[in-house]
Amino acid sequence: MKRRAALLVVGCALLLLGAVLVGPRLEGAQGQFIIWQLRVPRVLVGMLVGATLALVGAVFQALFQNPLATSDTVGTTAGATVGALFALAIDSSRTVQGLPLVTVCAFAGALAASLLVASFASSRSAHSSDVLLAGIAVTLATSALASGIQYTADSRALFAATQWSLGQLPQVGYRGVLLLAPLCALSCALLLLLTRSLQAFALGEDLAHSQGVNVPRLRLLALALGSLGVASCVAWCGPIAFVGLVVPHLVRRLLGASYRVLLPMSLCVGAALLVTCDAFARLIVPGRELPVGIVTAALGAPTLVFLVARGRR
Amino acid sequence: MSELEFVDLSVKLGERTLLDRVTLRVAPGEFVALIGPNGAGKTTLLKAALGLRAPSAGSVRLANASLAELDARSRAARIAWLPQHIRAEEPLSGLESVAAARYRFRESHAESRRAAERALARVGASQYAERRVTELSGGERQRVAFACLVAQEADILLFDEPANHLDPAQQLDIYRLLGELWREGRSVLCINHDVNLLHQVGNAARVRVVGLRAGRLVFEAPLDAAALPEHIGDLFGVETESLQGSAQRFILPRARGAS
Repeated sequence: MKRRAALLVVGCALLLLGAVLVGPRLEGAQGQFIIWQLRVPRVLVGMLVGATLALVGAVFQALFQNPLATSDTVGTTAGATVGALFALAIDSSRTVQGLPLVTVCAFAGALAASLLVASFASSRSAHSSDVLLAGIAVTLATSALASGIQYTADSRALFAATQWSLGQLPQVGYRGVLLLAPLCALSCALLLLLTRSLQAFALGEDLAHSQGVNVPRLRLLALALGSLGVASCVAWCGPIAFVGLVVPHLVRRLLGASYRVLLPMSLCVGAALLVTCDAFARLIVPGRELPVGIVTAALGAPTLVFLVARGRR
Repeated sequence: MSELEFVDLSVKLGERTLLDRVTLRVAPGEFVALIGPNGAGKTTLLKAALGLRAPSAGSVRLANASLAELDARSRAARIAWLPQHIRAEEPLSGLESVAAARYRFRESHAESRRAAERALARVGASQYAERRVTELSGGERQRVAFACLVAQEADILLFDEPANHLDPAQQLDIYRLLGELWREGRSVLCINHDVNLLHQVGNAARVRVVGLRAGRLVFEAPLDAAALPEHIGDLFGVETESLQGSAQRFILPRARGAS
């Protein structure tokens, strides 16, 4: 098992390195610029986003005791979408403190939706399934709001909204990396500290309670930290499908369900997977970039079906 | 050693009364068997003892403190629970599952694993240590859950029909184990559907049988009491017959009016 985990880490590192190097041949000063000013920061953003989405997916699957839970489940992504649409409908080029208005509004929307769900979660009597339902309700309500905004928006805003909703790694340079890194690192590091209580959750929420886990506090902490991480990612990149869903299942299949392995390995595999998908997105159509969200969805869906089919055998 | 006390405890679910002014004390080192028809409120009583059901009136006291005042870890140090159903959807190994039950201890993972190995050996489940709980049968899973309870090292043990769905040999063995834990000085509150199995724990005179119906306590008697068959008959609305075996008395139900 340890050897497998080590192999997987090495594989992830190779994929990350490969993602920086693949592409048209680069020479001279221009090549240096493309590698160090464009590709490396983009790979770093991809690593942060992929790692965070995958880890939060694994944590939420444990927390809700539901294999279909992801970072989108508690309304974070839907909230971000409403925020982004709102900003695009007003003015897509405006900035706040040097940040795109879209990013700021998406972040605020994501946090607002998550807060709504978290307020349910902190109730002592709520069961995890209630929180899951609350997440679905908030997602549906915000989607209705999003449709309302789209209905009133002009065609340029609609086009921008569609682009945004496909999900892609933005060209944000090192400044973007520096903005994203502390939020993602904080969220992931603190989530990893919850490993032991999440492990106790594996045999059931009530049993974990009887074993000394403070369930309402755990739920609130995991939701708040997870939402913070996901909100930062979605604000920059838009919704990127399937990473949070598929990666934990993939790791679980390869290395078992012990959260002491599953959580850190989801982090590694999530980072490598998203960056690799992004490299594909850069190269698959020559001279044009696809949004990475399309690639993750196209690869993620069959992978999930494959994993489920293998699991049934 | 801790004492568990239900004081005038009522629990409501909406309009329905699940428990109606129940007063019951489980003293340190005591064995209390809780019997009653389905829906009598037995599981609710155990859940109330764990803080999983909030009282609508009255209180649950644990070691002379109100249950609500205890933090989760100190509660877990005093009281542990073997639920009727174990969720086993995560492909965790038996050993990892039992190690996770050591949550209340502030110790390293290696220490948790060693304690888990001891607990699994104690309940005769060492062979499931490396197997995934998702692949275990109901009875095997029950053993692993039993090891979780042992690994938690609490003073008071709550059991919810521990022999449910087990074959006769396993049933006897589970109750023998329960008796062992009791004789080491722990208190036990055990929901049970077959009083005859209770003899496996030993010392029938010290086993208190408590009957619960429609949320109320209706009788209390030692396991060897002469009046117990009649109490049980009234509790379930059946006739009972007593047969003296070589080692114990058997109480058997019979439909009312049948001859």
